[in-house]
Parts: sequence; structure tokens; C-alpha cells
Amino acid sequence: MSVQADTTSNSNAQDTGPSKLSAFGSAFVAQGFTMFPVLLLLIIVGAFVAPAFLTSRNLINILEQVSVLGLTTIGLTFVVLIGRLDLSLEGVVGFAPMLAAVMLVPAAAGGYGVELPGWMALFVALGAAGLIGLFNGFMVVKVGLNPFISTLGLLVLLRGGVLIISNGRSIYSPGEALTYLGSAKILGLPVAVIVFVVVATIVGLVFQFHRYGRALYAVGGNEEAARAAGINVDRVIWSAFFFAALLSGLAGVLLTGRLDSAVTTQGQGIIFSAFAAAVIGGVSLGGGKGTIIGVVSGVLLIGVINNLLTLAQVPSFYVQASTGAVIIIAAVLTTVASQRSSGVKTRT
Amino acid sequence: MENSHPIVEMRNITKTFGSTRALRGVDFTVMRGEVHALVGRNGAGKSTLVSALSGFTSADTGAIRISDTRFEATGQNYAALIRDDIAHVQQTPRLFDHLTVAENLFIENPLIRKKFGVISHKSMLARATALLNEWNIDIRANAHAGELDAGTRQLLEIIKALSRGVPVMILDEPTAALSNAEKRVLFEHVKTLKNAGISFVYISHHLDEVFEVADIVTIMRDGQVVKAREPVGTLDVETIANLMMGEETVRSAREDHTDKSAPILLQAKGLRVNKFATADIDFEVRRGEIVALAGPVGSGKEDLAMILAGQKKPQSGQVTSPRGTLPTIGFVPTDRHASGYVGILGVRENVSVGGLDILSGPLGFIKGRKEADLVAQLARLTNVISSSLEQPVSQLSGGNQQKVVFARSLCRSPDVIVALSPTRGVDVGAKEQLYALLRDLASKGLGVVVVSDEEDEIEQLANRVTIVFGGKIVDELVGDYSIKDLILHMEGVA
Repeated sequence: MSVQADTTSNSNAQDTGPSKLSAFGSAFVAQGFTMFPVLLLLIIVGAFVAPAFLTSRNLINILEQVSVLGLTTIGLTFVVLIGRLDLSLEGVVGFAPMLAAVMLVPAAAGGYGVELPGWMALFVALGAAGLIGLFNGFMVVKVGLNPFISTLGLLVLLRGGVLIISNGRSIYSPGEALTYLGSAKILGLPVAVIVFVVVATIVGLVFQFHRYGRALYAVGGNEEAARAAGINVDRVIWSAFFFAALLSGLAGVLLTGRLDSAVTTQGQGIIFSAFAAAVIGGVSLGGGKGTIIGVVSGVLLIGVINNLLTLAQVPSFYVQASTGAVIIIAAVLTTVASQRSSGVKTRT
Repeated sequence: MENSHPIVEMRNITKTFGSTRALRGVDFTVMRGEVHALVGRNGAGKSTLVSALSGFTSADTGAIRISDTRFEATGQNYAALIRDDIAHVQQTPRLFDHLTVAENLFIENPLIRKKFGVISHKSMLARATALLNEWNIDIRANAHAGELDAGTRQLLEIIKALSRGVPVMILDEPTAALSNAEKRVLFEHVKTLKNAGISFVYISHHLDEVFEVADIVTIMRDGQVVKAREPVGTLDVETIANLMMGEETVRSAREDHTDKSAPILLQAKGLRVNKFATADIDFEVRRGEIVALAGPVGSGKEDLAMILAGQKKPQSGQVTSPRGTLPTIGFVPTDRHASGYVGILGVRENVSVGGLDILSGPLGFIKGRKEADLVAQLARLTNVISSSLEQPVSQLSGGNQQKVVFARSLCRSPDVIVALSPTRGVDVGAKEQLYALLRDLASKGLGVVVVSDEEDEIEQLANRVTIVFGGKIVDELVGDYSIKDLILHMEGVA
């Protein structure tokens, strides 16, 4: 026998590896830090343009505002990582807290007269969200629908559902149990921000260090290979839709808290911002690629831009258009950066 | 036949991918009416060279002439220039699954076009049926391409290219998915077309095919030509292998350690492997043996292996173990691109995905240290060469990708390893390393099941060969046998 399996060939051929700098660059991009220099630049520019920008009050305000989008985007990332998408998350943001609200408030305030005890609020909202997620998983895994069409249908259905259960009327002051997370402050810091940070941290750790996270990346990268490696692919898909909807339900609760009401139009348009934030953060719509650090940077970028444009008193029509332009520019940047650093082509 | 007129001339061709110099000033000439074999290890630059020739990827510099078209390469796309001069059949068929066979064969073909671009379905079907008959392919011309097996798809791709009527054809590993009968048909056509003046550039890892079909051989190594235009009659296997490797190589021989008394690890009873199977299969895998499943494409040997590995449910019957619980099984799938590795993930993640349960703690978090150690150990064992363990697997060569798939299958320290086409599309050096690995595993007491279409591979590896045909076991070879025995038994004439 000529070749031994255990010949001393080093698997880490150091000499042929890339230089330290380009290795740092690759890691920087792969970890999802691409957008942070841009973010820093924006903050510096912002400090000069609008004096009110770099105040702690405004910064906390930005964080509070992005926490709803942030949770939705983190939820969306679960589904996008496995190469699917979920448009119905926008519907969940509106539907879940509305359902909780009508179950809580008395009939006189627009409720069903069920008047569930306050502690049930979160239970109802998140339970409904979770069930919706499981329904999505069922449609994709068991029925075999393309998630674009099944979640699009559900999005429209939920939009109508909100109007049905609320009789077309927003519910004001649905009670502290439902609004606490979105409105209370601890030591001057909004609870919503704390929730966002905690969720982002936990999900970030799971994505990077937990076997479930690893399974998500594997399924998104090559579903058949994941199956052959012994991963229960169907269960991973179900669970991704479940967590996505659950986090969107939580986002909806935060939003209801901040507005102190469950509004019938709540969450409209948020799915577009969520996709934008995910892509800006380096999440590949083809699946298998993306980090929570990146997602957070995408969410912050959108939040900071909106805030700056408002502070700079740009007319609101222009705010919307320029947000769109920035999204495209940022997506181009992320894609180019990830291609140049890793040489792997991704679909974003 | 006058063979002195060159139809293809490539001068000083270079091509760089990132920091890799894939072609370093290559000259390549093909005469009219010759079959020109291009051989070399994976990564030697064969595929890059023919891609530069067909315009599939554009060469950076150099001069190219095909037939009457001549131009200087500048890195710009020139495929359109030479569209009518050359056809390139890629390793993996690129058919439209949702179109019919006839539509696939005649896509963008002026022969069936009427006025205003309207397509004559009648003439297309007639022509397609005639072609299929000529090639002895027993399918309907209006079947969907997606329903066909791999061999037929490969043949269709070749027929499609041949029917375009170009003077030069590139066949890149055309026989990888073909059965022996299909190979025969292909070679007959190549010879006929050659006599009609068509030139072929033929890439193959199978040197026996090269000897059978080629007139002229060019050997490449590390992006350069090491032997140009050598008549095939003056070469032998040893010489070619040495030029490919750049050093003396010896083909490794089989090690026999069959032991009838070794305990059975895995046992199949009364298996019906698919819905076409007409008989039950009984089969067992013993400790320390390498058993090969041989047979023609579609014989059910792959089904049997998939069932043994727990990747597929049998039609009836079951797989058990005398020890009660089923042993841990490592699985190497047939097609590493489709189901072997996750291209955008690194070596580390690809390997450890095979053993997430043993690498994670009670809460499911992966123990980084343990993972790093295990992956490093397995990468050493399987000889994975990568710039780092974080390098995306899609960037590795075919051989290294396959080693990563092996490393993954070994993650949970299996008792049995089931490997389908373990060295498909892998160069000679990596092949020997994988053979050595499999022998090493068997000597450590694992049961090894190999499914292969290559007689050489089986003869080099397996202590026992089970021949599967039509969903049942028809023959078995144990212990000392020669490759001739094997072929005769597989053809059912021994």
C-alpha cells in the first residue's frame, strides 16, 4: 500500500493561507460586522447635521423604535436561514396583540366580553402567534406549498382577521398586562429595548453555538446534505416557522404597548423593512448565511436613517423614498463585501 | 484519412481564479477527425482548458483558433463567437426537467423552426424519435426529461450536442453516469463521427476508456501540459499515471481480512429494495470486512445500501442487528454535490454536522473545544487539505470535498460505514487515500459497505462482492478473485 491514511499531512496548511489582514477582513464580513463602519459613519454625520441626534434620549428613542422591527427581523431570519420566507409575519404583528386585546377588554371597550384575567394577555398573543407559525410549517412541510404563496395567503387572511375580530375598530388602553413590555421603563431604559437585546443575545448564541442553529445553517445551505447527515429537516422547518411567528407576535405586543392600543393597521409594511434589514445585515435570501450581529446592524441602520431624516426635517415623502434608496445601496455593499471576502456567490 | 490539418489551435492560454493560476501558458492543438484525450488529476486544469476552448469560461490571455474563427482572449466573454464551431458536454447534464426529451434535444435548433420562429412539433417529435432509435434509447420522445435516470440524461446531453453539427465536440467525463451498454453505444457513435471528420476532445478519469477511444493523448499537471499530442499506442497506464502524478505511483492492492467467524454487525432479512424487486434479499455485514455491492445502474444496489444505512425505507422486510440495537452507521451519499456537503459552510461545520448530538451539552449548545478537537482529528484521519478548517467546502477540490464527506460520516464513531460511489469524480491521489482510509477503518473493526460502478475500485477494495441485479442478489465473490472474475460474474457468464 502506497498511501497511508495517517500520513502527517497537516490539514491547516498555514503557509498557503491568506494574509492576516485579509483573514481579518473575511472574518469581519462573515461575522456580520460589514455594516457597522457605515453605521458609525452615519452616527458621526448625524452628530454634525442634527445636534439633537447624539443625545442619550434620542439614542434610546431610536432603540425603542427599532425593537419591534428588530424582533420581527430576527424572527424572519429563522425562516430565511433555511432558505424559505414568511410574509405572514406582518399579519402576526397585527393579529396576535389584537386577539389578546379583544379577549381582555370589556365588551363596552370593543372586547368580546370574555374579559380574561390580565396574566393571560401574553399567553393568548404568543399562543396565537405560535399556532400561526405551526400552521405555516404544516403548509410547507406536510402539504408542500411554496412558502411564498402560503404565507402570502395567510398575510391577507390575517389582515382581514384583524378587522373581523375587532369589528374594524382599534382598541385603546387594552390593559397593563398587554402594554407593560412595550411601554414600561426600568432605570430609564424601555423594557422593549431590554426584551430586544435579550432576545437578540439568546438567538445570536443559539445560531452560533447551539446544535439547532447549526442545523438551520445546514438545512439552508444544502437540504439534502443536512438530511444525509442525520438532521431531522422537517422538524427544523416547522420550528423555524414557529419561532418566526412567535417573535413577530412578541414584536406585535411591544408595538401595542408603545401605542397603548391595538390598532387595526398595526404592523403594516413591516415585512418589507424586515427583509431589507435582514439583507442589509448580510442574510442571504438563498439560505444558509447570516448572523444576528448582522441583522442587528441592519435594523439599527434603518432606525438611524429614519431618525436622522426626521430630525433633519426632510419631508416625509422623501423619507420613504430615501429609505428605499439606502436599502438598495446597503444591499449592494453587503453583497459585494461578502463576495469579495469569501469568494462564495450568494443570492441576496 | 488526412489528419494533418489542425482544427483547434490554442496558444499560450492563461487563466487565473483569484490567487490560483489554473492555466499557465498552455498550448493545445486538435487535428481534424481525431479523438484527443486530455488527462490529468483533478485540479490539473483540464476542465478549465476545455471551458476556455468552448467559451464557457473566458481565458485571460492567449490566442485561440477554432475552424475559421480566430481571436485573442482578453478575459471578455467570447462564447458567442464560436457558437457554431464547438459544442461542450459538461460533467453534469444541463437539461430542462420540465420540457420533453424532444424539446430538450432541439432547443434553439434551426432544423425544426418555421416562419416567425414557430416550432413544428410534428417534425421535432419525428426527428427526436429517429435519434433515440439510432442510439438505442428506449424512451418516448415526449417524456419529461426530469423523469429520466442519470445515464439517459447524460446520453441526451451528448446527443443534443452532436446533433448541432459542429466540427469540434468536447466530452467532459461523458461516461460517469453511463452503464456499460450505454458506453458501448456512445463509443460507436464517437468512432463513426470521427470517421466523418468530427474532432473530439475527451476528458476522462478512466484510462481504459482513453485507450479504447482516443487517438492522441495530452497530459496536464498543475495548469501546464506535461506531455503534448502523444499517440495513444506509445503510452501505457504506468507512464500516464506517472506523468499525471509527477512521481512514481503504485496502484494499491486489496487486503484480505475476511473472517467468517467475525460477528455480524448488520443484518437484512427479506428485503424488497424497491417496488420492482421480485425477490427477497438476505444480507449481512460482518466486523472488519469490506463488502462491495456491484451491478448495473438501476439494479437496486444503491437502494439496498440506502436501506442498510437507514436512509430509505424498504418495500418490505427489515434491517436488524444480532446485538439488538442497530449499530451507528456512517453514510457517504452518492452525489456529494447534491447531498454530501454544504458548500457555503466551512470544513468544521460540514464535518461536525454529522455528530451534533454527541458534540453538544445537555442544553444543546455545542462544546467548541470538543468540536474543534474532533474535527481536527477527523480532518487529519481523512487527509483533508484546506487553507483552514473554516474554508468554505465549495472552494475545495473534488477529492477534498469527498474527504470532508467521509470525515462527516465518521463523526459519531460508527460501527458500520456505507459509502456510495466513494471516489466518484476524485483524482488518482485522493482515490488512493480514500482506499487506504477504508482499509484502515475495516482493520479497526468497522464493517464497510461500498457501492461502486467501477470494477477497478471494487477489485482494489472489497473482500467480498455481492452482485445485485433486478433487485435481487444474483451472485457473490469471496476472498481471492481477479478483476476478470469480477467482470465475468457481473456479466453473469461465470
